[in-house]
Amino acid sequence: MARHNPDRHSPDMSVLGPATRVTGRVSGKGALSIEGVIRGNVSVTGPAFIAPGATVEGDIEAESLDVGGTLTGDVTASGPIAVRAGAVVRGELKGAEVSIEPGSRVAVRLDTAFELDLSFPPTR
Amino acid sequence: MAAGTVIGPGTVIRGNLRGNGGIEILGKIEGDVNVEGDVVLGQSSAVKGRVSGVHVTLAGAVQGDVQGSEAVLVERGARVVGDLIAPRIGIAGGALVRGQVRTEGEAGLPPARIGLQGRIHASVVQPRISHTEARPAAARPPVEAAASAASNPAQSAAEKTQRPAERQAPPPVVPVLGKGARARKKNKTRG
Amino acid sequence: MAGTLIGDGVTVEGEVMAEEEVVVQGTLRGRLSSTDAVSVGGSGVVEADVTGTTLSIAGQVTGDVNASERVDLQAGGRLIGDVRAARLTIADGASFKGNVDMEV
Repeated sequence: MARHNPDRHSPDMSVLGPATRVTGRVSGKGALSIEGVIRGNVSVTGPAFIAPGATVEGDIEAESLDVGGTLTGDVTASGPIAVRAGAVVRGELKGAEVSIEPGSRVAVRLDTAFELDLSFPPTR
Repeated sequence: MAAGTVIGPGTVIRGNLRGNGGIEILGKIEGDVNVEGDVVLGQSSAVKGRVSGVHVTLAGAVQGDVQGSEAVLVERGARVVGDLIAPRIGIAGGALVRGQVRTEGEAGLPPARIGLQGRIHASVVQPRISHTEARPAAARPPVEAAASAASNPAQSAAEKTQRPAERQAPPPVVPVLGKGARARKKNKTRG
Repeated sequence: MAGTLIGDGVTVEGEVMAEEEVVVQGTLRGRLSSTDAVSVGGSGVVEADVTGTTLSIAGQVTGDVNASERVDLQAGGRLIGDVRAARLTIADGASFKGNVDMEV
């Protein structure tokens, strides 16, 4: 799995640096890279990134989410959710697809909608 | 030396399978698989039952909990309805999983929220109550409380996982359909 | 080899239905039916009725066996149960207790 490195210098990208702590709601347009600490819910229209060492305690809504740090909260993403090796994630993850790398610590619920129709032939 | 076990793509087993040594499943099993060895569930495999082994690799369909004493790896194209637990867990993009995923050492999620889980059998029998009105306020994780209690936010998540209170029996909750379960049910009855 | 191999050290309890060759080196309790050949290796223990095209027994089988072509009970093999097959061979050193129906 290739790590999706956020482009910090993209004009569309908001960055909460490693020395930044936010208590409260964070919302906005475009992408968000979280390198510090957020206690509160996050809602952005673009992709969200939680860098290694960063912490979010709150729910996240974003186009997609890439977690390398620590997240305690529920995630709703229209696109993919990726949990990287070294990440610590706890909560419910709802995304178009969810990937989890070995080496992460997780206690998550995945509520992916799909049919699982296991049919077995009748007993002879 | 023990020959590795293979359940071929043309084989159906209704019953349990246990023992030592590696096992590769390409066929169908309606029953539990419990081996002290590595388990490979190929793309063509379908298992309705619990699967446990040392290193479990899934590419097929499983309805049941999957446990690995070393690892559980879910590959692209796999479909799993059930809980995954192992010290190391990997889920590739493109795999479909519905259930709890927990690396060993992490506390389980708050039990009150388990009622929301979109289990297949649950989504069939449970009453039609709307997701929003039935979701109990008490079932929300105590994020705020935990956050304020933790003096060091970087460690708060780890501390939370250790809190024994989260393991206590849940208050009774009104079961609800998982999100999308009604749509799935509708599709099923229509199709 | 395409097909099913129940290895030494593995136990299956239940019904096995195969549309391919089945080799039992481990233990099988329940029922075994295949549309192809079935063989029970020297370490194999089968406590089940067995159906297949050809059935080769080098291990132990307790149960009735039904083969559309033939049953070969090999040296060291042990079968307790009735045999229904067009052809049957019992090697020197094999043991067998049961009835044989070779009706065609």
